[in-house]
Amino acid sequence: MIQFSGVSKYYDGDPVLNDISFTIEKGELAYITGPSGAGKTTLLKLIYCAERPDSGQIVVAGWDVGKLKQGTIPFLRRNVGIVFQDFRLLFNKTVFDNIALALRIHDMQPREIKETVNNVLKDIRLKHKEHVFPQHLSGGEQQRIVIARAMVSRPTVLLADEPTGNLDMDTSRNIMGLFREINARGTTVLIATHNNALFHGTGRRVLYLHNRHIEKEAVG
Amino acid sequence: MRTLIYGFQTALKSIWHEKWINLLTVLSVSIGLLILSSFVTVTLNVDSALKRWAKGFGMVVYLDGDLTAKAENDLKNLFRQDPDIIEVKYISKEQAVRELRRTLGENASILDELDENPLPSSFELRLKRDLLKPAVVKKKAEQIRQLKGVAEVQYGEKWLSSLNTLSTILKTSAVFLGCAILVAIVFITYNTIKIFFYRRKDEIETLKLLGATRTFIRLPFLMEGLFIGIAGGLISAAALFGIHSVISLKGVEILPSIRTLLVAPPVQAYIAIIIAGAAMSLAGSFIAVGRIRY
Repeated sequence: MIQFSGVSKYYDGDPVLNDISFTIEKGELAYITGPSGAGKTTLLKLIYCAERPDSGQIVVAGWDVGKLKQGTIPFLRRNVGIVFQDFRLLFNKTVFDNIALALRIHDMQPREIKETVNNVLKDIRLKHKEHVFPQHLSGGEQQRIVIARAMVSRPTVLLADEPTGNLDMDTSRNIMGLFREINARGTTVLIATHNNALFHGTGRRVLYLHNRHIEKEAVG
Repeated sequence: MRTLIYGFQTALKSIWHEKWINLLTVLSVSIGLLILSSFVTVTLNVDSALKRWAKGFGMVVYLDGDLTAKAENDLKNLFRQDPDIIEVKYISKEQAVRELRRTLGENASILDELDENPLPSSFELRLKRDLLKPAVVKKKAEQIRQLKGVAEVQYGEKWLSSLNTLSTILKTSAVFLGCAILVAIVFITYNTIKIFFYRRKDEIETLKLLGATRTFIRLPFLMEGLFIGIAGGLISAAALFGIHSVISLKGVEILPSIRTLLVAPPVQAYIAIIIAGAAMSLAGSFIAVGRIRY
């Protein structure tokens, strides 16, 4: 589902990622870890085409990402749900509208949007907050909204960048539970985190990013 | 279609949310269009007045003194058959003297001192209105001057030239002013939409990451620009209609003679104002949104 073959990325001549190769299979839930500044966010950005590789090939859900034209990028991103480190919620829209936006972009019927968003809100147990604006929600609730927005359009791949960065342990556990549920429905999930506690004992594959390349692969 | 509806709804929300800056932009656009349309209306009225005055324009063809009645008649027929001439009037030597006596009034007695009538017979010709251009009239005068039996041709060369210059200056000014104002409208809308675009930069970034196409992102801004232009055009058209109505009603009371000169802007002019406002504002919005890169 996600395939990196000898991918390198430079910023101002300095390598950020060097000769990265790995494959995430369809339906897999995997982690990518490493210290801050190891290039985890850049690696995710390469997947959703916010950055382009300087060399190597990246294939995501059948798309050769490095060769995509500007006009085609939106259609790749519709297949890739993203949970951002900084949430990127729109504070002038309600919880409902934040989630519905992803479906409006997909040109879905208003009736269908209402039904789908309501179901997702029930899934994340925030139906009672649908008319609330994000600034009035806790960090954990905001993160659940972000996950709901990323998942509502049923993408084939879900990327999460430090999804529990600012959350306490209990909330983090809940959020990770949501990712497992999403993965159980068949979505390929790749989570970037520096927090070892998130993958220890999960039995999932972990890619260790260090010194600009994949240092080792292990089972968490 | 749903994208269009979403763009429409988002544009309406933004117009309401940013109502003051939008109102200011609409007023600026309408003032610009009003200045332009007023100037065009004035030019239209002046041009129409000039054409009315030019209606009486003609040339006088003086004949040789020894011309026979048959030769004079041949010339008269020739002028009548000329499609460029709409009226031919023959002035005999006797009529010319009578005219001169009337003009001289008390001093007419000096004519009694003359042994014979020195005035030549002549033709007064009135030319077609669309021929009243200095170069065309000059060429026509030259052609007539070459005819056998014609001694001299006179016409208001300087007057015609001044009239033409005035009309040209007005029309050229209207074109330049029009271009300047239309560019200004593009710039005004560009500024407003650019401000909105920057204010919603984070939202646009999120939309791009969620897979929104360029059309989906641009449409609300373009529609907002379009609404601004249409609203500006409507206000300007209404103001022009109001001003013209007031001048027609009140101005005539003060200066009754302007009744015959006043030309009302045609319906097409009002439609053109609205279309110009919409098109220029749309262009401004389009430039403001610019190229969206992912």
